[in-house]
Amino acid sequence: MNFDLSEDQREIKRTARDLLADRCPPERVRAVAEGGGPDGALAAELAELGWPGIAIPAEHDGLGLGAVEAAALLEELGYALAGAPLLATAAAAFAIEGAGSDAQRAEWLPRLAAGSATATLGIAHGDVAALVADAEGADAIVLVQDGRARLLTAAEAEVSPLETIDPTRRYARVGAPPGAGEPLPGDPAAAVDRAAALAAAELVGVCQRALDDTVAYVGERRQFGRPIGSFQAVAHRCSDMLLAAESARSAAYFAAWSADADPDGLPFAAALAHSVAATSAREATASAIQAHGGVGFTWEADVHWLYKRAQVASRLFGSVGAARERIAGAVAARG
Amino acid sequence: MDLTFTPSETAFRDELRGWLADNDPGPEPHGDEHAHFAWRLDWQRRLAAAGWSGVHWPVEHGGRGATLTESAIFFEELANRRAPLPGNVLGLLLAGPTIMTWGDEAQRERHLGPILTGEEVWCQGFSEPDAGSDLAAVKTRAARDGDGWTITGQKVWTSYAHHARWCMLLARTDPASERHRGLTYFLLDMEQDGVEVVPLRQITGESHFNELFLDGARATDAQVLGGEGNGWRVAMTTLSNERSGLAFFHQVRMRQLVDALAAELAERGGLDDPRTADALADVAAQVEVLRLTAYRGLTRLERTGEPGPESALTKLMWSRANQALTQLAVDALGPDALTAGSRWSYELLRARGNTLEGGTTEILKNIAAQRVLGLPRAS
Ligand SMILES: Cc1cc2nc3c(=O)[nH]c(=O)nc-3n(C[C@H](O)[C@H](O)[C@H](O)COP(=O)(O)OP(=O)(O)OC[C@H]3O[C@@H](n4cnc5c(N)ncnc54)[C@H](O)[C@@H]3O)c2cc1C
Repeated sequence: MNFDLSEDQREIKRTARDLLADRCPPERVRAVAEGGGPDGALAAELAELGWPGIAIPAEHDGLGLGAVEAAALLEELGYALAGAPLLATAAAAFAIEGAGSDAQRAEWLPRLAAGSATATLGIAHGDVAALVADAEGADAIVLVQDGRARLLTAAEAEVSPLETIDPTRRYARVGAPPGAGEPLPGDPAAAVDRAAALAAAELVGVCQRALDDTVAYVGERRQFGRPIGSFQAVAHRCSDMLLAAESARSAAYFAAWSADADPDGLPFAAALAHSVAATSAREATASAIQAHGGVGFTWEADVHWLYKRAQVASRLFGSVGAARERIAGAVAARG
Repeated sequence: MDLTFTPSETAFRDELRGWLADNDPGPEPHGDEHAHFAWRLDWQRRLAAAGWSGVHWPVEHGGRGATLTESAIFFEELANRRAPLPGNVLGLLLAGPTIMTWGDEAQRERHLGPILTGEEVWCQGFSEPDAGSDLAAVKTRAARDGDGWTITGQKVWTSYAHHARWCMLLARTDPASERHRGLTYFLLDMEQDGVEVVPLRQITGESHFNELFLDGARATDAQVLGGEGNGWRVAMTTLSNERSGLAFFHQVRMRQLVDALAAELAERGGLDDPRTADALADVAAQVEVLRLTAYRGLTRLERTGEPGPESALTKLMWSRANQALTQLAVDALGPDALTAGSRWSYELLRARGNTLEGGTTEILKNIAAQRVLGLPRAS
């Protein structure tokens, strides 16, 4: 039993933290959010490093690392609120790899790994996926509906940009006429669970950023002649944020590990990660606004981006309620 | 990262399971607290006879020299088997390790063996009426008296004092001292005049903790642990051991409660109510997160060797989850679950103690804020 990142995995995380602190500081996040566009330069640089292909097998030109490495990376992308479409591409790549034909894998995975193409994945009901990350400009879109997946090219999908509350990333509604695109022959369920694990990891980063920024702020800001962090109500709020962040981290890493090493346990672990990370991120980012006082409610401070990301990203691969339903079902079944 | 057990950890678990399969703790006596405690002590005697007492203790002190993970497995398996914690749990988890750290040869020789077998039960005399969360306010006075000490004062909430032969006692030896200085840690013999134990009734109706009145109780110099005036540091050793391993016992016990609740609800169709199913998922998730976080803590501890302030987090998770779980049970199962003496009503009431015992929620959040996050203290 060893429930911690390995030295190599920690190194990935450290490298990502340092690089993103430099390339994706708050000013850059703000520029993306206010300029309404994704950060093309950042995406290109990350592609140079091979990050889009972190979990794509080496035989398809990816880095061939596991979901845990991908989770460590996604955590840092969430921490930086980076405007690069790595979560979306990783999710689509999981589906193409897990449920696609040999030809589909050969056609798409090398290009996704190289960053010369991007892709995304959405959960559809009635041929419409209501919330899909980074669909605009994606070369391929995987839509999962009723346990089956199909792959659409940009020309085949109807992509309507959505203005969500989270402008740090682009979201869209994606529709596709019945029969459009080509089916992925396999079962996409595990790919969706793996995507949910990475989305949870991204939310862990959001929690951690909310916590770090808040701890720094309440240690500096003074009222009544002392730092507000020395007031117990404020300090306890920070302790609760720590609990939230660590709970989310336990669950997200567990799901990532299950994705690599315990396929039978993955559905439960993914539902757990989704539910816990979403709840934790919404709570921690709301607390961050509260602890920043009036400043936290201004557009000029940066905490609101975290809150907004937490709200929207929590819904990417289904609702929290649906994840809870799966957990309840699993508990009832084991009793 | 590898969340499977190594072959040697699995072998440990299998061996223990094999032993537990052949050795049943016997039916749990209900309603009679003395019979219940006798049952737990007998269980410890049998564990000890087979070498399963103090698994985390070093071999030189009579333990099994098990790794931390194996110790966690031990507590998980006890709970899986629905076996009780050994009767002398405070001796095994607190007194023993503290004596190993601070005791001299004679103290180790005298005390460790009877702790392992449960022959001598220990209690922890730290809290006082005016020193609860603020432990450094301890007033119980130990005065130099010839070649020994005379002790006067009052302890409170002393669990197991009515069964105990020995007490980990924190007392003030320097009357002019304040706060953390001038405290001394005694191994107090409970079987003497001058020690009076008066049971206190808990909200469950049971009497597991007591008032402990000390009126001229005696201790020798040989019963000072870790040196005169060093009591605070010795007490911190005791407290840092307080939560070791138990998280794993609680985690399994809580999972059993979640499963029992799910089964009872399923029988009544209760899970068809989506609000109930959602709430059940929430507590099941909390219990699962506790398990995972406890394992992360264990990996960290194996690496650093020091129990850090992070153990406050699992205690916070455990106490919160148990209160949520038991509240859900009585909500969802209806008035039957609130009948006095029913299992769920007992669990509901007992859970209120979880956010107090072993450091209150507020104190643990202070620790997390100041020692994990580094926030400034109120001065
Ligand atoms: C079931 C049970 C078993 C126990 N067994 C033992 C035992 O065997 N040996 C032993 O020595 N003790 C034992 N205790 C005592 C336990 O450690 C104390 O109850 C605990 O430390 C709190 O102290 P107190 O009861 O004096 O409450 P107080 O310290 O008076 O606390 C009352 C309230 O004030 C809050 N509070 C206090 N200080 C602060 C602060 N600085 N910031 C914010 N809030 C604060 C507390 O969190 C709590 O909510 C046991 C308690 C229980 C419930």
